[in-house]
Amino acid sequence: MADGSGHHQVVVKPPNIATDIHRESDPLVRAVDRVALSGAAVALASGFVLPFVEFRANRIVEGVSYRTWSVAGVWGWLLLAALAASFAAALLPRGLRGNSLLVCGVGGFAAWLFAAGAAATRLMPTNGSSARVSIAMGAWLIFLGISVVLFQGNQTSTINGGRAMALAVAGGAGVAAWFLGGLQQLSLVYEYQAQSDTIWTLTSNHIVLSLGATAIALVIGIPLGIAASRVTAVRATVIPVAGIIQTVPSLALYGLLIVPLGLLGLPTLGTLPALIALTLYALLPIVRNTYLGVSGVDQAVIDAGRGMGMRRGELLLLVELPLALPLVLEGIRASLIMVIGITAVMAIIGAQTLGTLVFLGWGSIAVDLVLLGALPMVVLSIIADQGMRFLQRAIVSPGILIREGQD
Amino acid sequence: MITLEHITKRYSGLVAVDDLSFEVADGDVAVLIGPSGCGKTTTLRMINRLIEPTSGRVLLDGTDTRTLKPEELRRHIGYAIQSVGLFPHLTVAENIATVPRLLGWKRDRINARAIELLELVGLDPSVYAGKYPRQLSGGEAQRIGVARALAADPPVLLMDEPFGAVDPLNRDRLQVEFAKIQRELKKTVIFVTHDVDEAIRLADKIALMRLGHLEQYDSPEMLLDHPATKFVHDFVGADAALKRLSRVQVDSVMRTEVPSAHDNESALVKAAADSARFVYLTATDGTLEGWLDQRVLERGTPLADAATRINWRETAVGPDASLKEALSRMLELGYHNVPVVDDAGRLLGVVSLSDVERAMKGGDAHMAASAVTLESGNDASTNSPEG
Repeated sequence: MADGSGHHQVVVKPPNIATDIHRESDPLVRAVDRVALSGAAVALASGFVLPFVEFRANRIVEGVSYRTWSVAGVWGWLLLAALAASFAAALLPRGLRGNSLLVCGVGGFAAWLFAAGAAATRLMPTNGSSARVSIAMGAWLIFLGISVVLFQGNQTSTINGGRAMALAVAGGAGVAAWFLGGLQQLSLVYEYQAQSDTIWTLTSNHIVLSLGATAIALVIGIPLGIAASRVTAVRATVIPVAGIIQTVPSLALYGLLIVPLGLLGLPTLGTLPALIALTLYALLPIVRNTYLGVSGVDQAVIDAGRGMGMRRGELLLLVELPLALPLVLEGIRASLIMVIGITAVMAIIGAQTLGTLVFLGWGSIAVDLVLLGALPMVVLSIIADQGMRFLQRAIVSPGILIREGQD
Repeated sequence: MITLEHITKRYSGLVAVDDLSFEVADGDVAVLIGPSGCGKTTTLRMINRLIEPTSGRVLLDGTDTRTLKPEELRRHIGYAIQSVGLFPHLTVAENIATVPRLLGWKRDRINARAIELLELVGLDPSVYAGKYPRQLSGGEAQRIGVARALAADPPVLLMDEPFGAVDPLNRDRLQVEFAKIQRELKKTVIFVTHDVDEAIRLADKIALMRLGHLEQYDSPEMLLDHPATKFVHDFVGADAALKRLSRVQVDSVMRTEVPSAHDNESALVKAAADSARFVYLTATDGTLEGWLDQRVLERGTPLADAATRINWRETAVGPDASLKEALSRMLELGYHNVPVVDDAGRLLGVVSLSDVERAMKGGDAHMAASAVTLESGNDASTNSPEG
């Protein structure tokens, strides 16, 4: 593997004892990837010991569990082989490790999809009826283990565009398993098909509520943060108050809101109180980071700006805010992800969000329903997180991200 | 012309600047100097109204600065500070463009100006225009700071220890460059420093301050020769004569007619013809390589071994070096003469210890340089490759 730095110099040069000793003792070269190793080990053990899927002939009878190797045929064994390979890959020297982990992880992911599909196809009676095949504990743990392997592989891979290739292969495997591999036979899919309209409505509600609360918090929070950096009295009130709000549990905060809302004649249940509570939560990271960002600007920079004849507004827009931007964006990211989570809880007070689905599933002991609420939330959080990081790279000046003295 | 009239600044009973009055003529460099807390920076900042005086007024070409909007005033006064304060999120070119952009210049004009200024401060625009401040060394950042202050071509420049944050070697280079730029641009400059040598080197006038008072406002020569108070005398130090040397550039006293040759044999001939003790040896392109000393030959050393070979980078000085540096070089190496070379090491002339002595005594150094310790001929042009 072209690893660029130094290691293969040993091959080119005559044997160099000092260098070899150095290599032996270099932890980066010798150490195994403990994280990937644990992930693969957990997955492998789960694959052998824990149930992979569960079959119920109808809603009333007790489920029957099946293990990976007993139910998924050749795909089950392929899956176990990929997990064993991942385990071995984690032991490889660093130069080979990342790429091997990535390949094994993607292979394992594809095998997992097809194994689940194969198990469902095999167990489901052809006449349909009310029988269900659902993913069981072992399969979830294997999925978790594979995610860990993929994450580690992605971190250390040296293949150009390795991430894109892995994503393409995984996506292709997903489509293939869906149309050819019997993935549609899983209970999760049946449940989704039954509830798809509701899920999409709740997802869009969830997005609107989260984004709306964050947007309002931005409009209020950024000016407040700037004001806090200018006026001591504002800082001394706003920051602690926002901090106190954040420490109040979400339902207690809602409870505190009922009285003023009722006095104003506004609805005390549903979207409006949820939006208000979420906005209050989103406020602290935005206000605090704006305050920290603006007040942290180097005094020499401010002095130079003023000395060159910038007005206050120009100084704020051309100098202070651009320099505070990384912190402000970090605050927005923190708020957004937090709010996506708390929006689910707001289902309790009648806001129609993905949390509604989770609580509904919980109440009726329908695990698939809980998952159909939870999975979209996970996806939303990941999208929000990655989107904000992308935005940071796109709009923050590279001059700020450079470290001192770096060329 | 900048006029300060009875400027006073009080901070809740504490007097920072007390009834200060002086004038700076167009094109002059006035240096404000004094111990820390003497009010020099406060004075500077009252000129562009970053600080408002408690009483008194500042006139710019006769106009009271209080009649102008502070921001408008500052856009027409260059401002460079010790901590530089470059905007880290903007490139070097964008930093330089700050004031022109505030003034609403056209983009083409701004770009052309940024390139022109980078060249002025000796930084290659193709390398530096797109860099960010954190990619610059201390000296480079200070240069950009000065370029940014000059961007809108302001007639007046305020500089608060602009070379204070760099190492002595870099500071020296920046001072030389600043002096060169100032000779070309003829700005009216007010310059704050706590470094007496820097003040004496760069100033046309020095304002020596103490506890908010002006102790003396004079040319560096007057300050050195006729200190108004004991404080001034003590502040400029006991080595006034030595400090005076930093006011004189080598090329103003060096003798340019120096015998030189390309090899030992022709050097011997030249020495005899010019009845000179020293003949400098140069490469065919004029680069200084050493010299031949008649005394060494007289001691019986064979001609082939008689020449002293030197590295001009260590032994010679540049034409814009000060006499102080030339003297320091002589003392360091134990010679009575120091050759003067250009950037490429080509021999331009020679400065001798007696030239330095004459300059130190305050005589007209340039005239005095004709009768010399360095016995030299009259027709040896050291600049031509012919020697």
